Formats: sequence, structure tokens, C-alpha cells
Amino acid sequence: MTLSDLFLRLRALMFRARVEEELEDEVEFHLAMAHRKHLEAGHSEEDAARLARLDFGRVGSVKEDCRGVRGIDIFETALQDIRYALRSFWRNPGFVLTVAGTIALGLGLNLALFTLFNAYVLRPISIRDPYSLYGFTWTDRQGAGHAFSWAEYKQFEKDNLAFSEVAAVQYIYTRIDGHAFQGQLVTGNYFQMLGVTSELGRPLLPEDASAPGREAVLVLSYQAWQSTFGGRADIIGMKLMVRGFPMEVVGVARKGFQDISEVPRDFWAPVTMADRLQDGSDLFGVEHPERLEIVGRLRRGQSVSGAKAILTAWSQRITAQLPEDHKAAGILLRSKATSIPLTPELLIVFSPLVIAFTLVLVLACTNVASMMLARAVARQREIGIRLSLGALRRRLIRQLLTESILLSIPAAILGFIISRVTIDASIRVMFATVPKDMLELIHDVPRPVDWRVIAFMVFATLASALLFGLAPAFQATRANVISSVRGEVTSDLRPVRARNALVIAQVTVCTLLLVACGVLVRTTMAMSAFDIGFRTNNVIAMEVAANSRRQVLDALASDPEVDTIAAASAIPLNGAVRTMTIRADDGPAISTAYNEVSPEYFGILGIPILRGRNFTKQESASETPVAILSAGAAQSLFAGRDAVGQIFHLSGKPARDVRVIGVAADIVTCCIPWGKDPALIYLPTTSATSAAVLVHVRGEVEAVRHRLDTRLAELAPGAIGDIHSLDQYRAAGMYAFRAASMIGAALGGLALFLTLTGIYGVLSYFVTQRTKEIGIRVALGATTRTVVGLVLTQSLRLTAIGIGLGVGLALGVSRLIASNLVFMRGFDVAPFAAGVLLVAFSALAAGYVPSRRAARIDPIQTLRYD
Amino acid sequence: MRKPSRLDLLQGTLDLLILRTLQSADAMHGWAISERIRQVSENVLQANQGSLYPALHRLEHQGWIKAEWGISELGRRARFYRLTAPGRKQLQQEADDWTRVAGAIGKVLELA
Repeated sequence: MTLSDLFLRLRALMFRARVEEELEDEVEFHLAMAHRKHLEAGHSEEDAARLARLDFGRVGSVKEDCRGVRGIDIFETALQDIRYALRSFWRNPGFVLTVAGTIALGLGLNLALFTLFNAYVLRPISIRDPYSLYGFTWTDRQGAGHAFSWAEYKQFEKDNLAFSEVAAVQYIYTRIDGHAFQGQLVTGNYFQMLGVTSELGRPLLPEDASAPGREAVLVLSYQAWQSTFGGRADIIGMKLMVRGFPMEVVGVARKGFQDISEVPRDFWAPVTMADRLQDGSDLFGVEHPERLEIVGRLRRGQSVSGAKAILTAWSQRITAQLPEDHKAAGILLRSKATSIPLTPELLIVFSPLVIAFTLVLVLACTNVASMMLARAVARQREIGIRLSLGALRRRLIRQLLTESILLSIPAAILGFIISRVTIDASIRVMFATVPKDMLELIHDVPRPVDWRVIAFMVFATLASALLFGLAPAFQATRANVISSVRGEVTSDLRPVRARNALVIAQVTVCTLLLVACGVLVRTTMAMSAFDIGFRTNNVIAMEVAANSRRQVLDALASDPEVDTIAAASAIPLNGAVRTMTIRADDGPAISTAYNEVSPEYFGILGIPILRGRNFTKQESASETPVAILSAGAAQSLFAGRDAVGQIFHLSGKPARDVRVIGVAADIVTCCIPWGKDPALIYLPTTSATSAAVLVHVRGEVEAVRHRLDTRLAELAPGAIGDIHSLDQYRAAGMYAFRAASMIGAALGGLALFLTLTGIYGVLSYFVTQRTKEIGIRVALGATTRTVVGLVLTQSLRLTAIGIGLGVGLALGVSRLIASNLVFMRGFDVAPFAAGVLLVAFSALAAGYVPSRRAARIDPIQTLRYD
Repeated sequence: MRKPSRLDLLQGTLDLLILRTLQSADAMHGWAISERIRQVSENVLQANQGSLYPALHRLEHQGWIKAEWGISELGRRARFYRLTAPGRKQLQQEADDWTRVAGAIGKVLELA
């Protein structure tokens, strides 16, 4: 397109009347000149005018061609279409409201979902140049990522591969004044690398982390400063107890920065303080514990694939001397530009949710498509007349589509409002239903309406306008010109067929959603009722820092409400369990979960010792090489033999032979969704050396927990990490499923509502359309029952097909999900039966009102029509 | 967008004729161009004078000719067209192409 072209088009668009007038003048001038020429040649006035026109050709079509050159006819017809559509909407506001409301429901839900997705996955973190930031780790043969030791990190930094800057970070959890604080131990260059400044005071500097043990300082997040410390200005210089160690607040990070991890962090401290803030081996000591994550900025111009190659080669070289299990098999290079990186795995996890939400939108669209079809059929006469007057079909289709798009504008606005309300409501519901102790770990992240959200809204709106507008537009303009002008619209059955197809699609989708939701609810119920193998009531578990352990244990022992104290290295149901490899002399090596516990552990949780005996106090104290196996472990190690008295080899640090002294019943140690541990071994320990302490208490457990927490915090500030009742751990582990059930139920309910109204609409239309026929039937003696039956049969026929298809799909889907979750194995008939009955019953109910209306048809009235 | 018509088939030729006609004059209105083409072609190209106007407008949109309102020799307001610099270049190229094709066709006809 040249400049002059653009200019002329703009002119034609803006001064339409003037350009039109000029064209008129130009043609007029030509004809006048030709007329004069013919007059001069001796023709009569009349002949001259006729000849001039003859030479010129068809004036109208020439003008049309000239207008075509301007290339703005699209706009002109669009304007016409819009005016026309608005006039017809004005006459029928109820229709517009119903359409906008229905589409808005579907749009709003999807927009809400996208807003959340955007906040976590698409919106870049507010730091300098987020897209060059990557997290790096190597993976072993099992594909598990590697945490780095300090020495490995220093080596990595020194070798200076594909990154221009690198930093190491480690997660740390503590509680300050009873509030959960999630922090990050970072190398000194962290804030500089990210380009994050401070709101107050200063950020962490390289000097702060110059040597192990320095400096006891921390920087708070803006949010933590506001919510926990009320934004007090004298926060700088205050000492906070982090895991029992006093740390000075030197700054508050700038507003909006909440770290680059998935979950917002509350504070940052130098990684060189790791030893002071952490139990276990010294990060900088000879044991080289592996705890660090590496993040870095890719060098400018360095391609990701190139970096991967370099890093793979480096990882393999570094790990070449290690045993096979520890060798680097591959690497992971993950973008840190957003809270959660956009990976194929994430999309797979997210897809069921997306599909369910999209299906609701599709349902809404089919409802509207069905309404549009009914309207189009009602307008068949008008359309027929326009076609017979020479209107092009595609011109009519364009006009009908313009109507759809116009209808979708109020739908988008309403949908946007619904999305905001939905998000607010679901967050409120989440805060209301989440297990109490999880609350303090939940951070609200900003959910801005940015260009991505707007773009999604526009896209989804247009897509749904096409979805609900296209079929009716094509269908309606297919009319037979002659019959429709005569008003015989009922003879053309195609729209009816299209609407029937829509009803079947709706019932299918609705059945699928309801059954899937039923499966989810059943699974959640099964999990809640699942026998986890031990008692959770009146047990409180806590993590105790090593330096204050003695003090804490003494206080607990003297507490009047504490019955029993037990120790464990892993709190059951905490969502994590450590594993090791063990092997019986002649048997295969198996990977098993393990827990180091004191003798009281079995009593406190009511785990029966099936054979053999419990640890003795003495064995605990000396950590004798004896073990109790879970029934599962005994079975897989010593199938068919008595496990008690057998010896197995444990290839941990140090590797040793261990004698089995007992077999305990199976329990769930890690997470309820995974079911009971296939194999678990217990090794002896005492509360003096164990990281976690479990106590059985008398009285109301939450009150006791609160009292213990307060009392221990006074006694040994920062010594207690997490302290929760086991009931809370159990509820927290179940919450994801409860939440999913709630979302599923909401979606299922909405789908049912949409389907109900959809069926109702189609049947009402069916009755209106066949009034004459029904009238005749009644006149010929049909009873109310036959008429009601006629309508209901119609409804049930469609519903039956839809239910069949839906059940088929649901079977496929549940099989797909079942392969991932213990609790969904096996076919559960209840959700299928419930879903099918619900849909069938709703279809009957939706058909009832139209069928009664049909039964009331007065034959005299109807037959008078003709 | 638009369906092809007879006009489009002739378009290339008509464009060339218009450009060539305008080359030898300062500015001409549509009627004059049409008359000129008729005279020069000795009445061969005269039917459907109307089709001249869409062609003129298209050339204008392409920037090869420029239109302005003026007063005709008989004192009536008329739209005058004149060749622009890009139009001159275009004419040169199209004329060359035409000559080459015409020459080639001529040769083929002689051979046959």
C-alpha cells in the first residue's frame, strides 16, 4: 500500500459524502460532454442522451467499481450492519440480556482462571531483565534434580560457564513472633544480580556474605514489613530471632519484589549465616551437605541450547568420579522470569482444569447458538425476502455475524465483572476453608489486569462470538427463497436438526463434567475416610532447633498436659519422606522410605507391632543397628519368611548391616493421595538428637498447641519451627482435593444449569413450532398424556444420546486419571449413576413446563390460524 | 474482495494507454482521455467508456497519476489528471514490457 493510497482511503473514509459527490460530478461531466458531442454530430436531444449513456456503459456499476477501488466498502457495510443490528436489539432487550448474561458466565469463569494463570505463569517477576534469569541443576538417572554443596557452587562460580552472574540460594523457614516466615538464604550478590533496591534501609550487599558466620543481618519483604510489623518506620536496626538466633533488620526490599521462587518470601539473609540458622552439618564444613540452588543470568547473546550443551558437559565432568547413582545424567535449565515456569509438564497438570472451564464456555455458547437459531428461524421470512431481492448470502452471513460480535461486547464487559467477583469470592472461600495452620503460609500475589489479560478477553470474546454465531448464520441463510417468502418456514427442518445436535452436545458435556466431578468428590471422600494406619487425635508435632532441644524437652516433660513425648526424623503426613536403598542378603535391592523414631512413637500413634518387639530405650540411645520393618517392607524383602531376626544391608552413611527386631503395621507416612507406604523401615533414635518431637496431650488439642507454642517461644525464642496438630497435617494434605472438589462442584452445577436452560429453550421452541400439529392432534382426540408424552419423548431421546456419549467420554477420562492416583483405581459406579440420573432428571424437569404448555393448546384457537 | 470482471482483463492495457495518453499532455479530464484514446486507436478502443473511471481511480490510488479539480475548456468544473514522477517510471517499464511481448508474439506469429 503506497502513501497516496493510504491518504486517499482515509479521505474516502472520513469525507464519504464529499468523495461520493465528486464521483457523481465526474461521471456527470463525462456524460454531458458525450451528450454535446452527439448533439453536434446531428442527433436529436433524446438520441444524444441515449447514445452518451450507451457509450458509457452502466453508470451504477461503474460507480460501484470506483467505490471498490477505494477499498472502504467493508467499513461502510459494517456500519450499516451495526446500525441494523442495534435497531433490532433495541426492539428485543430481553434477548440481548439473556445472551450477554449466558456468555458472560462462561467468559467470566475463563477470564478468572486466566487472570490467575497470568499472575503465576505469564507475568514476569518484577526484577531487572527477568527473561535472562535461569535456574540450573543437574539430574541423576532417575531424573531427580541435584542440590549443590558450597564447594560445588564455588567451583561453578569459578568455572564461569554460560552465565554472566550466578547466585546460590537456600530456603529457610522460621517463625517470628508466632508468624510463619519463609525466607531465602542468598549469596551477597543476589540483590545486585536481580537489580532489586530497597524501600527502606539497604539491600543485602556482597560484604554481608563475605565469610561464613557473617553478617547477622536480614532484609524483610515489603509485604512482611507491612503485615507483620505494621509498616513501622523504626524497623531498621531491630533484632529478630530467626531460629533462635538474633538477626538485625538492615532493610526492606522494594515494594512488589517477593523473590523469584514459586511462593513469595518474607525475608532474605546471607547464606554465610547458614550454619548459625540451621541444624545438621555445616554448609561450609567437611561433610559438604548439598542444599543450595543455583540461579544465574545467561550471558548476553548466549543461546539457551548452547548454554545447555556447555552445562551438560560441565556437570558430567564434575560428577565423573562419583558412583553411578550420583553421576549427572542430564541438566535442567529453567527460566526464572515468572513465578512458575511455563513447561510442558505444567501444561499437562493444568489441562484438566482448562478443559473443564472451556467446556463451560462452550456450553454457554451452544445455549446462545440455540437461541440465535430460534431467532433466525423466526426471521426466516425477512431473510427470504432479502435473498429474493438479490442480497448476497455472504452479505447476510456477515450481517448476522456482526450481530453476534455486537452481542458479545456487553457479554465481555459483564464477563469481566464476573471474573473479578469470582476471583475475590474464591479467594475468600479459600481463606475460609483452608486448614487453619496453613493460613499463615498463604500469600496473596498481585493479580493485575495487564495487556495479556485484556488480549485473552478479546480473543475469548471473539472466539465465542464466532462459536455461537457462525452456525446460526449459515443455517438461517440457507433458506429456500420461495417457501420462506410464503411463510412456510416449518417445512425446512434443518435448523431443528442443528438445534437437536446442540442439545446432544450440551448433554454430553454436562454428563462428562458431572461424572468427572462425581469421581473427584468420591475420591476425596475415600481419602477422608481412608484408614491411614495411625491415630492423629491429640498429637502435636513440632520441629525443634538443635541448640534449644534440651530446654524444650525439659519443658515438655514437666508440662501437666503432655502425656508422652516421642521423637521422629520425619513428621508423618508432612508431605515429605526420605528414602534409602536396602538389600537383604539374597534378595533384590529395594528403595524404601525410612523414619528414625523413638520407642514411644508406636504407642503415641497407635501403630501395632505385628511381630517381634519395639525398640528398647537402650537401643534408641545407642542407635544400635536394629530396625523395625513395615509389613510392606517385610513382604518385599523377606517374602514368605519371618522377617524378625533377619539381617539386611543398608547402603547409607555409614553403610551397615541391620538386624530386624520387629514388624509394624503399614501406615501413610508421606501423603494421603499416595496411599500407605509400600515399604518403610524404622531405625532407632532418641528425642535428644531428633529434629521432630511428637507429644500426646490431654485436653483440647488446639488450646494446648497454642499454649505450648507461646510458652516455648518465651523459653527459647525461635527454637520451635513448625508446630501443628497431626489433625491439621492431615487436613492440609487433603486440602488440594477438597478445593478441587469444590471447583468441580461449582463447574458441574453451572453446567447443569446451562444445560437445563438449553433443553428448556429447545423444547419451548419445539412446542411453538408444532402448535398447529399439536392442535390437530388434540382436535382428533389426543389426550393430555399423549401430548405431554410427545414433548417429553423428544427431550428424552436427545438426552439419552447425550448421556451415552458423555458416559463414554467420562470412562475414558477417568481411566486416564486413574493411572496417576491410588484412590481412583478401579471402576466406581456411584459417580456415573449419580451423574446420569441427575442429567436425566433435569432433562425431564426442563421438558415439563413446555410439555404442559403443549397440553394446554386449544385446538380451536390454533386451527383458526389458517 | 471484488469479483473479477471484463475490466480487470483489460486493466493492464487500459492502464498503459491512460499513462501514455497523459504523458503527452499536461493535465486531462476523463472525457478528454477517452476521446484521445478513441482518436489515436482509430475507433478501435471506444466501447464502455465508463470503465475508464475505475482505472483512473486505481492509478490514482497507486500514486502514478494525480487528480485535481479545475475548469474545463467549456467553463465546467472537471477533474483533471496528470502524470506523477513514479507514474512516468511505471509507464516506461510497462511500455518496455509491452514492446517486448508484442515483438515476441509477432515473431511467433511470423514463424507459425
